[in-house]
Amino acid sequence: MKWIIALAAAAVVPFFLPPGQLTVYILLGLSAMAVVGLSLLMGYAGQVSLGQASFTAIGAYTAGLLAVHGVPTLLGLLAAPLVAALAAGLVGVPILRLRGHQLAFATLALQLILLSVLGDADWAGGAVGLQGLPYLSAGGFELNQDRDYACLVLAGVVLTTLIASALVRSRVGRGLRALATAPVAAGASGVPVGAYRLLVFAVSAAFAGLAGGIYAFYVGYLAPGSFPVLLSVEYVVMAVVGGLGSIAGALLGATLITLAVQLLTTLATQPGMPSYAPSVLSYAVYALLLIAVVRYVPKGIVPALLLRKGILATLHRRSS
Amino acid sequence: MTALLTVTNLSRRFGGVHALRRVCLDVAPGETHAVIGPNGAGKSTLFRLIGGQLTASAGGIVYDGQRIDRLPPHRRARLGIAIAFQDAPVFRGMTVAENAMVGAHAVTRAGPLAAVLRLPRHRREEKEIRTAAAAALDRAGLAAWADRPAEDLPLGRQRALQMARALCGRPRLLLLDEPASGLRGPERTALAGLIEELRAEGLSILLVEHDVGFVSRLADRVTVLDLGRVLATGPFPEIRTDPVVISAYLGAPA
Repeated sequence: MKWIIALAAAAVVPFFLPPGQLTVYILLGLSAMAVVGLSLLMGYAGQVSLGQASFTAIGAYTAGLLAVHGVPTLLGLLAAPLVAALAAGLVGVPILRLRGHQLAFATLALQLILLSVLGDADWAGGAVGLQGLPYLSAGGFELNQDRDYACLVLAGVVLTTLIASALVRSRVGRGLRALATAPVAAGASGVPVGAYRLLVFAVSAAFAGLAGGIYAFYVGYLAPGSFPVLLSVEYVVMAVVGGLGSIAGALLGATLITLAVQLLTTLATQPGMPSYAPSVLSYAVYALLLIAVVRYVPKGIVPALLLRKGILATLHRRSS
Repeated sequence: MTALLTVTNLSRRFGGVHALRRVCLDVAPGETHAVIGPNGAGKSTLFRLIGGQLTASAGGIVYDGQRIDRLPPHRRARLGIAIAFQDAPVFRGMTVAENAMVGAHAVTRAGPLAAVLRLPRHRREEKEIRTAAAAALDRAGLAAWADRPAEDLPLGRQRALQMARALCGRPRLLLLDEPASGLRGPERTALAGLIEELRAEGLSILLVEHDVGFVSRLADRVTVLDLGRVLATGPFPEIRTDPVVISAYLGAPA
């Protein structure tokens, strides 16, 4: 029921937003898709990725390059998550042998390598990137309005949320949660630890890749600079603030951070503010939020709320 | 009768240290076989080699007619080998019931696609898993704790949860690593009772245990390890009068 209300609210919002604000809504939705995947990876399988925007970039470039070469845009959009997942599957074999900080740095390095390769690759447009990408079209209908993309993004968020929640509430999801805290016991219980780690890495990459694919058609141009390391950091902050291992938390985290950054950008671009104000403020808000959350609600906002509710329910039962 | 598990000339070195040297041992169907020995005898190494957490330097392990010593742990679990570890690692952040349900991984197959598409197979399996977990928790005396976070359980109950998780995979061979260590009177009695029940049902059990009293009550046969080698194998009454074993480990019979 709560989900239905949230969905209805999210579906109605684009029709009331002024056109300029729809961009925020779309970017928020794209982040939410990637963060749902990242929350799955970090919260359920206990793996840290500081390079998740690599997969957004791979998805975006897949869609962009296919479109540039005349492949129907819908096929490009479908290919985006698949290629991102495939890339994760390939690099995952070696790097998922790492744990904790080492894995985090390996994923970060991966993104830095990807960005410099893209920046030098002529076939990907180099530092200038790909420009003049077509709008997404399907069955003769071209999505050329912000509102179309708002609906597409909402559908993407719903799809990733449904997939993620079906996955975590299944046998596979229990295996993932088990291997996050006690991999040896999980393996002895029949959980194929390595394969599951790879699976969740690939799924999280697919979600980011789908977001990247939509981004490519929405914005119409791509450059390595569209996917900075800061974007990966943003994903992590969103996931942690909302609460790792909570899909609702991923959505809430993406919403809160996007709105906060938006507010600060508006503030920072007021007349009289120095030119570096927007980036300084957004870095500051990431840092402060991350510290505040880890310090005061280490499990993240949504799990903390659920815990409170659980405690209240228990007290209530005891008193009655 | 052919043995369910046969360990042949199993050796494991850690650097220059021989943790196990050419150990031979077998477990017959329905047998409870105990491995005893002083600290550092190689009991835990043997246990982890059979479970697949370690790989052997030399030698072989045959289970149900199949070489398993190169298989990863989850494949061994699928063949029917379940393990209850000594340090009782529970899956934190999951309920007691969910912990037991993880054990069903060994006997279920529904993959991610079946779960995402909510295929009938997934739903049928989920139901089976729930039933199996409830039954296993009941046997382990944990039914009342089912919805509590697993990390809230006291150590004795975490051991019991290990048993429940293992049973949820419907094993044919149960490996128990020092199940009684750190347990107090009533918990210990309950655990021994459960193991006796399982034995009566025909489950094969390989029990690594420090506590000679516990072993004498439960084991059909005992293998004594010392410094990585087998000192003796046989029924407990024979073992306890074996002069080699007495001088190395048991001390004078009481």
